Amino acid sequence: MAVPLAVPPTRMELLKLRQRVGLAQRGHDLLREKMDALVIEFFEVVRRIQEARAKALEQLSVAHRALSMCFAIMGTLETKQASREAKRELQVEILTRHIMGIAVPAVEVEEIERNALMRGYGLHMTSSVLDEASREFERALNLLIELAELEGSAFAIARELEKTKRRVNALEYILIPRLKEAIKFIVMKLDEMERENFSRLKRIKAMLEERG
Amino acid sequence: MGFKIAVVGDQETVTGFALAGATYAHTYTTKEETLGKLGEFLASDEIGLVLITHRVAEELGYDFLWMMQTKRLLPLVLRIPDKTRYVPKVDELREIIKRTVGVEIMIRKEGG
Repeated sequence: MAVPLAVPPTRMELLKLRQRVGLAQRGHDLLREKMDALVIEFFEVVRRIQEARAKALEQLSVAHRALSMCFAIMGTLETKQASREAKRELQVEILTRHIMGIAVPAVEVEEIERNALMRGYGLHMTSSVLDEASREFERALNLLIELAELEGSAFAIARELEKTKRRVNALEYILIPRLKEAIKFIVMKLDEMERENFSRLKRIKAMLEERG
Repeated sequence: MGFKIAVVGDQETVTGFALAGATYAHTYTTKEETLGKLGEFLASDEIGLVLITHRVAEELGYDFLWMMQTKRLLPLVLRIPDKTRYVPKVDELREIIKRTVGVEIMIRKEGG
């Protein structure tokens, strides 16, 4: 499986290879630790996503119900008109946080919920159901922003996790076995050479004794 | 500095989030047009969050997924259900967990 590296069987090379194995092993251990830490982080985020998602989707469906009500009572066109008139300048602060060298988004949101006057549509032409729908959507948006932050983090962590995993596996299953194979090859070769030398010496000694 | 919010989806979703203060909105028309608009949103520096309904995301198909793969960290893109509460059966997060952590299947305890 592990294709040995093509190396000259010398003592120098052996030392170098031993050093490389040590380094690879250390790197492998470090990466493995990083991976474990990432997995823990990832599951924590996933758990929070599950909670946040349930809440946000619940609120979103409430909002949609309120909006349907508004469509029914005020009329579709009027509602759309109002949505065009509304002030649409909501701003969110998005910073990047770093978890173990991965940039993950951190969203800070100011007050999203506004009162009817701040929304900017004309009050004398609109019904209170529109206020209701707007309020519900503002709440939903608030929860969704939170959810977006978490999902953004989860995707970033997952991507990093995948990368780390690939590296760990490359070290564990390809590089380290190959280096070990090469070391074995050199050790065997050196031993063989030693044996050859030994028998050669024996032979020479015998020849010298014969002559002398 | 503040980022603005964009919405891509059906009439109702867009109207609702416009009422809530989302600055940019695009109602789904054709695949090409929506893709173009989405690309614009993603390239913009002032948009921090793009909400897109699951249905539209699915309609855009592979092109959408490719955009997700290649986009920068910002803007965040969040897929949301529309008024029919439509959510695809394949949970993407679960898929990712399967791919990254191996064959692990999640068993979730409440409050755990």
